Amino acid sequence: MSLQSFEVLADPEVQRLFLRGFGTTLRLFVTSAACAYLLGALLVVLRMSGRIPSALVSAFVEYHRNVPSIVQIFVWYFGVPQMLPAPWHAWMNAHVGALFFAVIALSLNAAAYISEDLRSGIRAVSTGQLEAARALGLSYVKAMQLVVVPQAIRAAAPALISQALGLLKATSLALAIGVNELMYVARQLDGETYATFPSYLTPTLIYLACTLTLMFVGSRLERAASRSR
Amino acid sequence: MKKLTFAILGLLVACSAARADALADIKAKGVISCGVFGDLVPLGYQDPKTRSLVGLDVDVCAAIAEDLGVKLDLKTVSVDARIPSLETGRVDVMTASLAYTPVRAKQIDFSSSYMSVPVSVLVKKDAGIKSFADLAGKKVSANRGSTSEVFARQKLKGAEVISFDNGPSSYLALAQDKVQGMAMVKSAAIGFHNRSGGTTDFLDEALFWEFDCVGIKKGEPALVAAVNAALDRLESSGRLAQIWDRWYGPSTEYKLKREKKVTPASEFQ
Repeated sequence: MSLQSFEVLADPEVQRLFLRGFGTTLRLFVTSAACAYLLGALLVVLRMSGRIPSALVSAFVEYHRNVPSIVQIFVWYFGVPQMLPAPWHAWMNAHVGALFFAVIALSLNAAAYISEDLRSGIRAVSTGQLEAARALGLSYVKAMQLVVVPQAIRAAAPALISQALGLLKATSLALAIGVNELMYVARQLDGETYATFPSYLTPTLIYLACTLTLMFVGSRLERAASRSR
Repeated sequence: MKKLTFAILGLLVACSAARADALADIKAKGVISCGVFGDLVPLGYQDPKTRSLVGLDVDVCAAIAEDLGVKLDLKTVSVDARIPSLETGRVDVMTASLAYTPVRAKQIDFSSSYMSVPVSVLVKKDAGIKSFADLAGKKVSANRGSTSEVFARQKLKGAEVISFDNGPSSYLALAQDKVQGMAMVKSAAIGFHNRSGGTTDFLDEALFWEFDCVGIKKGEPALVAAVNAALDRLESSGRLAQIWDRWYGPSTEYKLKREKKVTPASEFQ
């Protein structure tokens, strides 16, 4: 590693590239995280509401846990549009960008994991709690809402936060379908200049700053949740 | 403590002294380690039958090793690992489709070019695209980290260049009309053109000529000179032309003519 290779980072054009890449990474992360947590919660509700929905959700979860994430992204970008009628496919090529497909793939994937974390949180609350709440005259919904879910979220919080960290790093997989996020920019710069170390060090520091922030916010939320106990 | 410090310093000096001249090291060891691709047909890949590494880049490096009178030690590298492998000394030389650009030459040294091919743009026949100007406002795919990506960005000003991990992905994007053109060295693009069943065509203009060189760590002038001299001898003995014919010649699916001989770095700098 030569120090002189770091000169490439002084180029304003390069800084602009990284900034734009960072912006795309944030957009990917924020939209997929919002979708993933909502969908994850929905999946848990479905899973607890009867045998058929439960089986469907479990199939969904197993697909996303057992198929490599990069394949899931390829399926959404190259596979799904191909299965549609030709005029729709042409319309999608003209109007729907790679970013959209990346968000779908990333949020479905993260939602599967999040629903499992929430489910394990709920299972961590002993069944006696629900039975006691029902015995006191609360309806099933009220008992879940007031007694079980608050404790479940507390139990699942650390796992839910690490899902956010994982999702942030997983956004880099979108480079495989040409989304120009941080790692895409890093590799573009590496290919142009062969200054490999600075090209990869820059996104590393940016990711690190983001994950540390997420961890800080997460620990604050966790503390707030346990204070309300 | 002081003794230990001196011992460590002495060791460091000894190590750096031993690394002062890579060429002398190679001669002393009797082995040259050479970085090649392991997954790029026909430059460097594993022969499915024999499980050994074969390809044009592999043959060129083997010929250089033979010329220098040392044994060859092949190491496979990925696109991203090429430069770090050179800089950290994991390999002595790199013959992995390393194409010269002035910006890249700030990080590593390039030998004379042992192979030169045009970079072309492949388009769908029915798309009505006949020239670079027709690509304005359209999307063009290219392989990540390749000079095709670099030069497509520079030359196709109005087009959006999207890079993909490898040839098959870049081509799939063209085949599915996600992009309207694919910039790639002609030697690599011909394989996709042949498999497209007559639905694709090359634009007449070449984006530029790519000069593939042997990559060497900065500050090894003796090794660069030795490699250049070896390449010149391999050119005049006809060995390089033979290697070209084996991988790109009339008996292959590419049927490419070798349009440029070994070119000294001064001519493309």
